[in-house]
Amino acid sequence: MTAAIQITDVTKRYQGGQAAVDDANLQVGRGEAVAIMGPSGSGKSTLLNLIAGLDRPTSGTVTVSGERIDRLSESGLARFRRRRIGIIFQFFNLIDDLTVLDNVLLPGQLIGTPRRRALIRAGELLSSLRLEKVRQASPARLSGGERQRVAIARALMNEPEILLADEPTGALDTGTGQEIGQLLRDLHRGGLTLVLVTHSPELAAGIASRTVRMTDGRLAAGVTARGEAGQLSGASGAGGMTSASGVRR
Amino acid sequence: MSARAIRRAATGRGPSRLVQSGVIFLVLLASAAATTVSVALLAVDAYAPFQRAFEARHGAHVVAGIDPAQATAAQLAATAHLPGVSQAAGPFPTASATLSRRGGQLGTVTAAGRSSPGSPVDHLVLTHGRWAGRPGEVVLASDLGEGPGRAVSLPLGTKITVTSAPGRPTLTLVGIAQSITDTAGAWVVPAQIPALRTAAAPASAQMLYRFARAGTAAQVRADVAAVTGALPAGAVAGTSSWLSTRASANANSSILAPFINAFAIMGLVMSVLIVANVISGTVVAGYRRIGVLKSIGLTPAQVAAAYVIRAAIPALAGSLIGVALGHLIAGPVLGQSATVYGVGTQSIPPWVDIVTLLGLCGLTGLAALLPALRAGRLSATAAIATGQAPPPGRGQGAHRLLSRVALPRPVTMGLAAPFARRAQAMVTLAAVLVGATAVIFAVGLDASLARASSGVSSTAPGQVQVITMDTPAFSSGQQRTAASAIQAQGGTAHYVAEAAPTIGVSGLTREVNALAFRGSAAWTGYDMVTGHWYRGAGEADVNTSFLTQTGLAVGDSVPLSVGGRPVTVRIVGEVFDPDNPTLLASWQTLGGRAAGLTVDQYDIGPRPGVHPDQYASALNHSLGRSYGTSVTGLSGFFGVATSLIAILTLMVAVVAGLGVLNTVLLGTRQRIHELGVFKAIGMTPRQMISMVLCWVAVPALAAVLLALPAAILLHAATLRAMAHAAGTGLPASFSHVFPPSRLALLALAGLVIAAAGALLPASGAARSATVGALRAE
Repeated sequence: MTAAIQITDVTKRYQGGQAAVDDANLQVGRGEAVAIMGPSGSGKSTLLNLIAGLDRPTSGTVTVSGERIDRLSESGLARFRRRRIGIIFQFFNLIDDLTVLDNVLLPGQLIGTPRRRALIRAGELLSSLRLEKVRQASPARLSGGERQRVAIARALMNEPEILLADEPTGALDTGTGQEIGQLLRDLHRGGLTLVLVTHSPELAAGIASRTVRMTDGRLAAGVTARGEAGQLSGASGAGGMTSASGVRR
Repeated sequence: MSARAIRRAATGRGPSRLVQSGVIFLVLLASAAATTVSVALLAVDAYAPFQRAFEARHGAHVVAGIDPAQATAAQLAATAHLPGVSQAAGPFPTASATLSRRGGQLGTVTAAGRSSPGSPVDHLVLTHGRWAGRPGEVVLASDLGEGPGRAVSLPLGTKITVTSAPGRPTLTLVGIAQSITDTAGAWVVPAQIPALRTAAAPASAQMLYRFARAGTAAQVRADVAAVTGALPAGAVAGTSSWLSTRASANANSSILAPFINAFAIMGLVMSVLIVANVISGTVVAGYRRIGVLKSIGLTPAQVAAAYVIRAAIPALAGSLIGVALGHLIAGPVLGQSATVYGVGTQSIPPWVDIVTLLGLCGLTGLAALLPALRAGRLSATAAIATGQAPPPGRGQGAHRLLSRVALPRPVTMGLAAPFARRAQAMVTLAAVLVGATAVIFAVGLDASLARASSGVSSTAPGQVQVITMDTPAFSSGQQRTAASAIQAQGGTAHYVAEAAPTIGVSGLTREVNALAFRGSAAWTGYDMVTGHWYRGAGEADVNTSFLTQTGLAVGDSVPLSVGGRPVTVRIVGEVFDPDNPTLLASWQTLGGRAAGLTVDQYDIGPRPGVHPDQYASALNHSLGRSYGTSVTGLSGFFGVATSLIAILTLMVAVVAGLGVLNTVLLGTRQRIHELGVFKAIGMTPRQMISMVLCWVAVPALAAVLLALPAAILLHAATLRAMAHAAGTGLPASFSHVFPPSRLALLALAGLVIAAAGALLPASGAARSATVGALRAE
């Protein structure tokens, strides 16, 4: 099986301080859903940022979809992000100057998708995410759940191979969080590779086929397979893609 | 909590704060420098440089020409003790001498015999070389002569021939000096004077007086009457008043004042705008921090004080260095203008520094205090919530509309941004508006001054003039020689013989200058204010001063007296010539040789592409040493004006660019999180630079569209004011210096200022770390 994400001996250190990520190795297979869990400050968001090409490792290699992204220029990283991955954030990070529709269209417009095609794609996403009625609204006027659905639509605009989610339910109430969790699970079922950073064991168990834990910048030796937490029912999918040796050391 | 700790807590630390402090420092530096230059020039102008120099050098209120045969030395010395006379000097022996140097005539001047430059009245300033120590040496006045051949340009050691004296004695130039009251054009040791007088000239001398009251013409007349009455009849051959010298010296500063005022106002507007923008932007960017600090107990007064102090430190440093920089810039300009004024040296009065420093620092404090107090009045939660985001929904219409335009999305997002961030857009607009107005105005003024320079034949650069060295006028033989040489000289496009008589004008008590041209003179470069250049016999053109003094208008006829012969001419045109009343007509109209006209000079216009200096040199070689040639150049006034325009324009443009830079920098700081999101979803550095540059495109374009008419109106008003000060009308062509092609190019200037100001922060935004930007609040 081809790895969607391959992290090898990666360390990230900020200004000579303690390593935020310390000698991490991780492999994520295509179509796999992996949850990264750990206490605050353990380095899980930093690891996600390294996978997204938002940050560069101090040492080690990061390969995503067969491409060494740790060696890419800023422009190369931008092109990588808009073609290969979609990112959703805890606090949504929508552009308040733009309407919901324009937020969703934006990634497509950055890669020069023809307007008609982009509108069709955005319309499909807004429809499937039940956002049609708010397409001309300002994101600032939406509920938290709606904003996160808009962020998901934006992340999916360019049909990425990989979806990276950083605490996607962290700013939402329980009910809305479950709704977003269900949505991510459905996306994963559709074949999307998913890397999820979360504090929520329920969310991880409900979506991820594998959970890795981080403490003080280090990935834990053990791997929790999907369903062990057993909190969310109906989880299914890509367990067969999980590499048993996804975490080395 | 110490004041320093409060300041750090309220305003933060780190690289971004350093950048903000750097911007405040730079803007205050440039503003202080521009303000110092502007205020200094205005102050020096208002400070009456002539008056100061006159007092410092004990200028003569009255120069009395004395006939030594009519009064003894004791009688003359006694006049120093007359009531009302505060000081007197002399008698200094004098002679009227026509001076020439190799290659050109210097003119006929009063030569005075003085043993030293020092004197209780009219203390001379030696600007080059030394004083004449023995017969055969001469010191010339710095303003003697014209163009490249003027005295101040002559090297020491130059041989000066006194062509009017028997035996044509030769003097060696040993120094250059300035007299504040133009008491003489040349100085030699007293023993030299008799040898400089023409054969028939009687002995003459001059007495220099200062009076207790000599501020008005009436007071001067009374002073002269007192001196004349105290001496034997005929002892005082004539007098000249300091008032006419003062009027002449102040004329240039009066002409300079309107455009210096215009630049000073623009510089101050820019300073106010940018300082207020910097501080309020910094405070607005810190609202959230202020809210948090208030929630843990900081008082509004502590917050406000912290911001005022934070702004004050770089502002004070920038202002201090800016004032020093202003001195460096203003120094050469003042020095140059001092030469034009003939007042030796000029320095910036100390109060200019104090006013500039206090003004800018006060302005900075006020600009910091107002938004800080506003933040202080907000509740803690409101301050936190105010944050940095624009009101929800603002600008979405513009985004929607522009997203349909067939341009890259980063470009359309940049173009739409000003509609969401209106305050920043307005500041950018104002900065570019002032900067572009300054540049367009300056280019127009420069073009107008160039035309004015060309419009006056005596200052039109590139014309060659030929005179005789031995006689005041060309004899018939010399005319034939000169005409043949000029015709034979390669590169001659035009030439005309010229007579310069003084003529009587009906209704005027004093004679006026006239120029009679023998041949076509339309090419000489006089610009017409109204009417047309004379075409036939009986027609004449006059300058504005002539019309003002006679009360006549174009179309009127005026009786003249030329060489005692009555001549009536019809005025057909008003020429641009900011000089004393002058009348221009053909040789025939003014009566020709029968009216005593003599050819005094030939004016030559070389063909385009022919270098005037080389032409003049070749012609001089061809004519021989009995003739002198010279090339007209720009007058000192135009040099000063052009220098001032260039410096002030550059400073205002730089400050405008810094204004834009600051606004965009604040914008990128306030929107850093948003920029991080753009990068996270795939915006490339190049796309980000395009977007940030386009933030300023709409306000810059609007500013340019406003700046064009504003600058044209300002240009027209300034020209009118300058012309009024010079006492002349203006040809329409002087105002019409903005053809569409030039306007199009000038419009680019505003866009270039905006782009130059935005490029640095745009590049910075493109280089910023995505993760750091996403973490920023």
